[in-house]
Amino acid sequence: MTLPHRHDISLAIRSMRSRKGQSFLTVLGIVIGIVAVVSIVDISQGVKHQVSGQINQLGKDLITVRPGQLENKNAAGIITGLNILSPFGNVSTLNQSDINTVASTNGVKEAVPLTAVSGQITVLDQSPTDALVIGTGDQLPDAIDQNLAYGSFFNSSNDTTNVAIIGQSVAENIFDEDIPLGHQFSFLGQQFIVQGIFNQFDTAPLSLNANFNNAIFIPFSVAEQLTNDTSPIDEILAKPSNPNNVNNVASSINTNLLKAHRGQQDFSVLRQDQSLAVTNSVLNSLTDLIGIIAGISLLVGGVGIMNVTLVSVTDRTREIGIRKAIGATNRQILDQFIIEAVVMSSTGGVVGILLSFLVDYILRVTTNLQPIITWQILIIATGVALVIGVVFGALPAFQASRKDPIDALRYE
Amino acid sequence: MPIIELRDVSKLYGFGDATTVALDEVSLAIEEGEFVAIMGPSGSGKSTLMNIIGLLDRATHGNYLLNGRSVDRLRPARRAKVRRDTVGFVFQTFNLLPRLTVLENVALPLAYRGVSLNKRLKMAENILERVGLQEREYYYPGQLSSGQTQSASIARALVNNPKIIIADEPTGNLDSASSRLVMELFADIHRTGSTVLLVTHNPELTRYASRVVYMHDGVIIHDEKTALGEVAQTARQVMYTIPTTTMEDDLAGVSALMQAIPGLKNRSKKSKKQKKTAKKHSHNRPPRKKVKA
Repeated sequence: MTLPHRHDISLAIRSMRSRKGQSFLTVLGIVIGIVAVVSIVDISQGVKHQVSGQINQLGKDLITVRPGQLENKNAAGIITGLNILSPFGNVSTLNQSDINTVASTNGVKEAVPLTAVSGQITVLDQSPTDALVIGTGDQLPDAIDQNLAYGSFFNSSNDTTNVAIIGQSVAENIFDEDIPLGHQFSFLGQQFIVQGIFNQFDTAPLSLNANFNNAIFIPFSVAEQLTNDTSPIDEILAKPSNPNNVNNVASSINTNLLKAHRGQQDFSVLRQDQSLAVTNSVLNSLTDLIGIIAGISLLVGGVGIMNVTLVSVTDRTREIGIRKAIGATNRQILDQFIIEAVVMSSTGGVVGILLSFLVDYILRVTTNLQPIITWQILIIATGVALVIGVVFGALPAFQASRKDPIDALRYE
Repeated sequence: MPIIELRDVSKLYGFGDATTVALDEVSLAIEEGEFVAIMGPSGSGKSTLMNIIGLLDRATHGNYLLNGRSVDRLRPARRAKVRRDTVGFVFQTFNLLPRLTVLENVALPLAYRGVSLNKRLKMAENILERVGLQEREYYYPGQLSSGQTQSASIARALVNNPKIIIADEPTGNLDSASSRLVMELFADIHRTGSTVLLVTHNPELTRYASRVVYMHDGVIIHDEKTALGEVAQTARQVMYTIPTTTMEDDLAGVSALMQAIPGLKNRSKKSKKQKKTAKKHSHNRPPRKKVKA
């Protein structure tokens, strides 16, 4: 066999051009398949990155106590099911005394509650705006390793007064100023004064609800008093005094809380690595599912190539006859048709990859998603396109190569 | 040693009582450098014989020695290579690839031999010059006259420098001027020592041949050597007995006559009179057309 030559490839391109409509549709099939596969993998990579970033941002040694059970485990401790509901807004099974239980557990340096208070805020004479108001404790900046850009966090001297610390986005979007220190706003009928502004939380937000850049932090006791102690505790963050002791501390917290809850496991104690595992396993199964669907669309694209090549073999029966008469071997005819199929599918692959970059860009601009295009997926996509070309081009090409030259020459 | 030697070659199509005998134990030896015209009515097995000689087809029975070597049992790939290097085909319908330029068409057989692109384009250019088409290299076959197209396909047949040229009614789609041009090319090829096999219906063309073989119902019924430049003896007889005009030829003759008669042109609407005149005239001079053939 002679290796495919530049000339052969230019012939293949010419023959594609002469059947524009058919070739276009086939290439389109491959393009859609590749774009679907690449984009889905990219999005899920991006989401994984964002989630793990969000979790890491809170500190790797942070222990999170959440109401309800996040995952169902079987006897062997394997996760068998997940309640993938937002931690905020659940009916909370955590109460004030649980904060103390966690705080007093051996090895816990500090315990910080988080409670979302729903309501709208009004700045001066502007119309009311939705905002995420979170009641929390004095040690939050330390627990989540986040410093303030301006001002100071509330401390024991003023954590019963109406002060607020805001995220960067709140400053920009609601107060329309870079440093709205000292500004006031009203919330649930009370006036609050902005006392500090957090540094930008680096990870891009997955959902606006969980974005601390959009949050207004008020003292926990103020939040309790605003809601007459009815605001549920959404999360208790616990920081161990020794970062290497996370596992032990987490299990002591679990034991203590279990005692306090009279043996009811109606809460979850999560370490960061567990949270990661939970979100990752959810994302992985989603990615698998959508990946299969995208794979099916690639398969359809491949069948399209097979169809076009089959039609092209019939259309070009006479050409095959001529080529054989002037000395082409079966193998050379086979190669020719496979090259054509590969040229078609790799065109689809290249266009598909370029379009994936476009999709990526559009997603970044219009949504909160930040897809990540990895070189691995690009290589896989290119490989898949080539394999489709060879596999689905092979059958028709084989048919072409086996044609009897005399019949082929007689074919009109 | 003959370059082509067929021994009791038969070709059968179909099975059982539907079997058709295309060739019936044909034996034929052709020496290198011969110009053989093969004549016979449609269905007499001429094309089948050419396809077997050109290694496009296999005989059902019998032996075929090409260059003294048996080629009956060659594997397909080997057959393709022997065909590529030994035989050049010229067809009645030209069979150039419409999407390739003349130059690319002529260079194509070299591509299958693995010659590099530059070299094969160069070789194709030389051959095109030889057939007088150097000005048409970058034309597509559809942009050429039928005579030029056939010249191009002769160039393609020649490009591998084959020992045998097989032409299956190469002038069948050509007017007489183009036919002469094409036949002169074959004569030229013959003069350089190649073996030329020419299938034709036209007895006139036997004047280019050194030997004429007549076939009928899959059997060679007559085989004679002729002098170059003369119509073969047998062919000369056949010329007057076999009706060589078709319905189309008759109609064309009638309209040509009408053109020739002064005063008829402007009265084309009066069809009755036209028909009468045309008939009368065609009765007057039928032999001229037939001799022309």
